[in-house]
Amino acid sequence: MDITLEPRGPIALLHVVPDRIDASVAIQFKDRFRDLVRDWPGPVVLDLQNVTFLDSSGLGAVVAARKLLGEGRQLDLSGLSPAVDKVMRLTRMNQVFPIHGSVEDALAAHGVAPAA
Amino acid sequence: MNFQDLPPPQQGEPPGAAPLGWACMRRFEAQPALVSMELLGLNQTLAQLGLPIEHLFSLELVLAEVLNNVVEHAYRDSGEGLIELAVSVHGGSIHCTVADHGEPMPGGALPPARRHCPKALALQDLPEGSFGWALIRDLTTGLDYRRDQGMNRLSFRIELPG
Repeated sequence: MDITLEPRGPIALLHVVPDRIDASVAIQFKDRFRDLVRDWPGPVVLDLQNVTFLDSSGLGAVVAARKLLGEGRQLDLSGLSPAVDKVMRLTRMNQVFPIHGSVEDALAAHGVAPAA
Repeated sequence: MNFQDLPPPQQGEPPGAAPLGWACMRRFEAQPALVSMELLGLNQTLAQLGLPIEHLFSLELVLAEVLNNVVEHAYRDSGEGLIELAVSVHGGSIHCTVADHGEPMPGGALPPARRHCPKALALQDLPEGSFGWALIRDLTTGLDYRRDQGMNRLSFRIELPG
């Protein structure tokens, strides 16, 4: 699955390129996430601004990603579309993740200055 | 019956017709990638009919949960078996029926909604699944399951505003 890593100071910013995280790609999402963060010691921000559809399999993959990081590394979400936000609220999984309106908001919350 | 022997999917009124009285029937194999494609196509068609985007999202989410359950449980992830999806828009609702020839629901009835309280759970105990029936029950009305002549038939409505 096409996810790219952009290092921003101590933060790994992961951009999800496809517009859906659903049952057909949930395993690929988990595998790609695991590979990207394997050697990254710091917090991770998942940029979901391209994602317009998330089903419960996709949500399960995002929760699995959170668990993979363990207690030592935080996983924030940014740029939720109305549809993704709705799934997060209905399942109450919005309580599990710090959620930010944009990537820059997420970075600011971690004390990382915006790009020049 | 072989997949090849089946008639091609029937399409109702073309896009652009009035949103009342529209109907379509789709038939496809129980594979995740095909489910995604069907949902995408249906959503685009219904968006062209002018149905509100928020309700179309609810429809897409509920259908994703229902169809994925058929793929994973009724057909046990075999990648084989047919799913029939009937969608119609009339009387202020989107009406859906999903039929398959797979295994019946355990106990012959719909599973309950499982509500999670993630704040009360340790990180490693967070659920990675079983969200589906709560979403289905929250977003639909008239949810009904029948097992009849070796077929599962699940029907429900998404209510439209006004």
